[in-house]
Amino acid sequence: MTVTETRPGTAGSQPAPNPGQRLISLPAKIAKSPHLARVLFPIALFAVWELSLIAVEEVWPFAVDVLPTPSEVGGFMWDEFITDTLARKNLYETFFISLRRLLSGFAIAMVLGTALGLAMGLSRATNAFCHDWTMAILAMPALAWALFNSIIFGFDDRGPILTVILAGIPFVIVNVREGVRNTPRELFDMARSFQVPQSKVIRHVLVPSLMPFMFAAARYCFSIGWKGLVIAEVFGGQDGAGWTIKFWYDAHRAHGVVGYAAFFVIFAILFERLVFEPISRRAFRWRPQLQTEVVEEAFGEHHEHYGEEETARHG
Amino acid sequence: MAEIRIKNLHKEFGVGEDKVVALEDVNLDITGHSFVSIVGPSGCGKSTLLNILTGIETPTSGTVAITSDGHVAAPGYVFQAARLLPWRTVTDNLMFVQEDRSEDTRKRCQRYLEMVQLGDKGTKFPGELSGGMQQRVGIARAFSIEPDVLFMDEPFSHLDAITARALRRELHHMWDETKKMVVFVTHDVGEAVELSNRILVFAKGGRLEDDIQIDLPFPRDPADDEVAVAKAHVLRKFEELDLLAS
Repeated sequence: MTVTETRPGTAGSQPAPNPGQRLISLPAKIAKSPHLARVLFPIALFAVWELSLIAVEEVWPFAVDVLPTPSEVGGFMWDEFITDTLARKNLYETFFISLRRLLSGFAIAMVLGTALGLAMGLSRATNAFCHDWTMAILAMPALAWALFNSIIFGFDDRGPILTVILAGIPFVIVNVREGVRNTPRELFDMARSFQVPQSKVIRHVLVPSLMPFMFAAARYCFSIGWKGLVIAEVFGGQDGAGWTIKFWYDAHRAHGVVGYAAFFVIFAILFERLVFEPISRRAFRWRPQLQTEVVEEAFGEHHEHYGEEETARHG
Repeated sequence: MAEIRIKNLHKEFGVGEDKVVALEDVNLDITGHSFVSIVGPSGCGKSTLLNILTGIETPTSGTVAITSDGHVAAPGYVFQAARLLPWRTVTDNLMFVQEDRSEDTRKRCQRYLEMVQLGDKGTKFPGELSGGMQQRVGIARAFSIEPDVLFMDEPFSHLDAITARALRRELHHMWDETKKMVVFVTHDVGEAVELSNRILVFAKGGRLEDDIQIDLPFPRDPADDEVAVAKAHVLRKFEELDLLAS
């Protein structure tokens, strides 16, 4: 048998890229950058908004009295921001009221939903009993809950809070149940073979393995609950964000309706960025950071970078 | 000194027509500082035997006694996949299986991490380590509880040949240094011959067919003539027992 050794770099290696190629690829890299795309989005949105207003006005001249312009909406939002408002409560008071209701309903939905999800995941009989009920609540539109609760509870806090609970709880139940069903059996076997006490297994194996499902549950519950709350406040509130958007609607102020809707979006994004994302980053810091990049950029240049870094990491 | 005594061990799964016999009338004694490999084809009951020895499964009939100086022996376990808690750091994974969180225990864990050459990786999460490193952590975890007996279920089967070889050497070194009893399940005859001083051959249906002593000095190099001859001898036994086809 003959063994031939070839030293790396002496044969078959790729020529080094020349510096010119790097300069050419820089604008291409900026064009592909997600940051640029993020900045371009609002600019494109305002451009399309203005252009469509001009186009609609050509066909229907009265549209200018109905459809709000970006500057009108921007001006309205600024006035609200500096608490110069015609509504009964200013922006901050309004959102504080809604947030209080949302968090109350969210907390109750998370606690009850987790308990029910655990019971359904652990017991087939409980799952058989509760499954159809959960699906029924899941299928019910938030609008129906909002109307139903406003009829029963009138115009106090209970209606909107109960709507948040009913809109959010099926997502918590289903996610936690799936979390229990997907607990890593091999880790429980490992703990048993090392004779680790049950309480320690619950704290260090069961709870952390449920965390990704709990987080998904919390995010769904929050966003669905928020939408439910706004509808409930429209029908059964005397204040809050939902009530205020109806106030602007009743006052025939289209820029007020659009501006307030924009506040809803900003509120949801801020909550996601300032609350969920930092908690998620901290709770899941054990996850390899590169995983998400691979999913997002699987067909681009990052795929190659990932391969290189993987090799470097794994030596 | 650790002792394992297995008498008339029988294990079945399922009932009626679905009944499968995993282990049939196994009788076995293992004592002292031995490195015993259990080899055989897939489905011969190797892993079932290990699961019974570690209490993950219970026997259908028969008795298993694992003692050390008259007391119930403390077992350690190294799995096929490392089975680390991905949300805990390397050090915390070792601490998870300890009885207490004292400074002495932490130092002991660090000592075993250093023995597997991962002394500087204590603060890393398992997802940041390669497969070989994760398996090293699994080995350190098993040794860190200072067990009387160490059970290992094909611990190197998921690794590439070079990493597996390096880990076999480390394992042998640790076995020699700590004087523990090791019961090692593998389907790789070469690995069994390189590591063990006793090889138990199981056949399909969970029968213990042969008990082979390998009296060669350690460390063993697979390229050595004597090791190659021993491997050929075990493979011939496999052929005699008609185990190679399966």
